Amino acid sequence: MEMIYDLFRHLIQNLAQAGILPDSLTYTFVINALLCALLIGPTLGAIGTLVVAKRMAFFSSAIGNAALTGIAIGILLGEPVASPYVSLFAFSILFAIFLNFAKNRSGMSHDTLIGVFLAASLALGSTLMLGVSKTINVHILDNFLFGSIITASSDDITLLVVAVVATIVIGIKNYNRFLLSGLNPSLASVRQVPVMKYDYIFVILIALITVASVKIVGAVLVEALLIIPAAAARNISRSLKSFVLWSVLISTTSAVVGIILPMQLELSIPTGGAIIIVATIFFIATLLLRIIRRQ
Amino acid sequence: METKITRGPIVNCANLSMTFGKSCVLDKIDFTAKPGELHCIIGPNGGGKSTFVKSLLGQLRHEGSISLEWDNQPGRIGYVPQTIEVDKTVPLTVENFISLCVQNRPAFLGISKRVKKEIDSVLERVNMLHKKKLLFSELSGGERQRVLFAQALIPSPDLLILDEPMNSIDRTGAAIFSGIIDDLKKEGVTVIWVHHDLAQVREKADVVTCINRSIIFQGVPRDVMDEKHLLEIFTAQPVQEAI
Ligand SMILES: Nc1ncnc2c1ncn2[C@@H]1O[C@H](COP(=O)(O)OP(=O)(O)OP(=O)(O)O)[C@@H](O)[C@H]1O
Ligand SMILES: [Mg+2]
Repeated sequence: MEMIYDLFRHLIQNLAQAGILPDSLTYTFVINALLCALLIGPTLGAIGTLVVAKRMAFFSSAIGNAALTGIAIGILLGEPVASPYVSLFAFSILFAIFLNFAKNRSGMSHDTLIGVFLAASLALGSTLMLGVSKTINVHILDNFLFGSIITASSDDITLLVVAVVATIVIGIKNYNRFLLSGLNPSLASVRQVPVMKYDYIFVILIALITVASVKIVGAVLVEALLIIPAAAARNISRSLKSFVLWSVLISTTSAVVGIILPMQLELSIPTGGAIIIVATIFFIATLLLRIIRRQ
Repeated sequence: METKITRGPIVNCANLSMTFGKSCVLDKIDFTAKPGELHCIIGPNGGGKSTFVKSLLGQLRHEGSISLEWDNQPGRIGYVPQTIEVDKTVPLTVENFISLCVQNRPAFLGISKRVKKEIDSVLERVNMLHKKKLLFSELSGGERQRVLFAQALIPSPDLLILDEPMNSIDRTGAAIFSGIIDDLKKEGVTVIWVHHDLAQVREKADVVTCINRSIIFQGVPRDVMDEKHLLEIFTAQPVQEAI
């Protein structure tokens, strides 16, 4: 793990020194940032195609809000202020599981149910946040809300690597199963897919990757990176293959540009914001393309 | 007497009842389908046909007994759902859809070699091969139904269950479906078909069951499908409210 990381760092530093990559990439923290972008971008881009296909966009934003509550609870319970991961993980994953359980049991429409809990988790999260913000530095909260690559520690990065590997491996191996259970649960079940089990696995994966990306992209904006690249990709795709490919490409480019560009320009803007702005530019561009093609 | 080949199971259910919350959707259904036979299910909208089929597949909690009696070990079940919910935002081609049903390799990485030929051949059989690159959202209702049907033919089923929607009246489709079903019947497959075209049911079905919460009538089509019975279907009100 360390070794691969060192290799990656050396490679980038050498390329930067040779003038192939920008100068700033000789700095370790810039390399860390790039690494994060290359981890988050493809993963959220790929899994985002499933989120969109399974119509779970709303669900993932509820999880983003729940992450806020998790952070606040962690800080209240006395976890380290910069990394209240135990509460963050526990609360987000429990929230995801509960939401899925409630959906299955109540037979209520997804939208209504999530609408309620989306609002509830935001209310709870922001109330607790404002409560704790009196006792700690507000900037730390800003970082959780909107992301900050500069403050990402090596623990944060390790965690991200683990979450990314889990998401990619499970997500790719079971891509068809996840998608088919969304399209038609009965058909999936005839095809030997235990639909309920895969629903749970999927929401836990979303919670996992959301939590791991919170420090970098921000709780408010993780879900945007799950949805916008996939939505942009849809505008220019005519098959599943190009859908996934474009989504990954757009998401990765957004992450890299959104992380590196502000550093280059020495702008101190939140990372998450920058990433989403770039992604949105892609979305608008592909939308225009689509409109032009239709005429 | 000729001996029938049997591949499919005898599907048996006795006293099957099913409720959603407080409303009774199926009430004491007795039903048998045999290998090499086409058993059609008809009935008004909301009569419980799809619910019945899902119960047969073991997907819903029910009262009463359901059994699939296979000759040897359990065979393969093909299922044609009434609809699939493909979001307009997902660019899923015909080919993508079938491959995601039948292979392990993620559908976005292309069709795996093992099933490529088979996919082309079932699409050919339902006359959709030339449209395999089209998106689901670009298909007509009848074409969609043909793709859903094609999917159920891989791997070749021993029990085939079709849940056809009301509005998929598509002449070409109907002819293709019944041709393929004739072939499957000859091979001893058990076929259960929720159907809306009464003329075709009368002509094709070996046994017909009309369901509107409970069984309205059941038997050989030319015996039971007379004017009076048919009138009963079309004038029937949905009756789930009362228990
Ligand atoms: N998940 C569910 N929860 C509650 N009620 C349901 C559910 N699924 C079906 N029903 C009810 O059960 C009844 C039968 O529905 P079903 O879909 O089986 O009818 P159908 O005969 O297939 O109708 P159609 O011809 O329109 O396809 C309907 O009144 C429907 O409202
Ligand atoms: Mg139905």
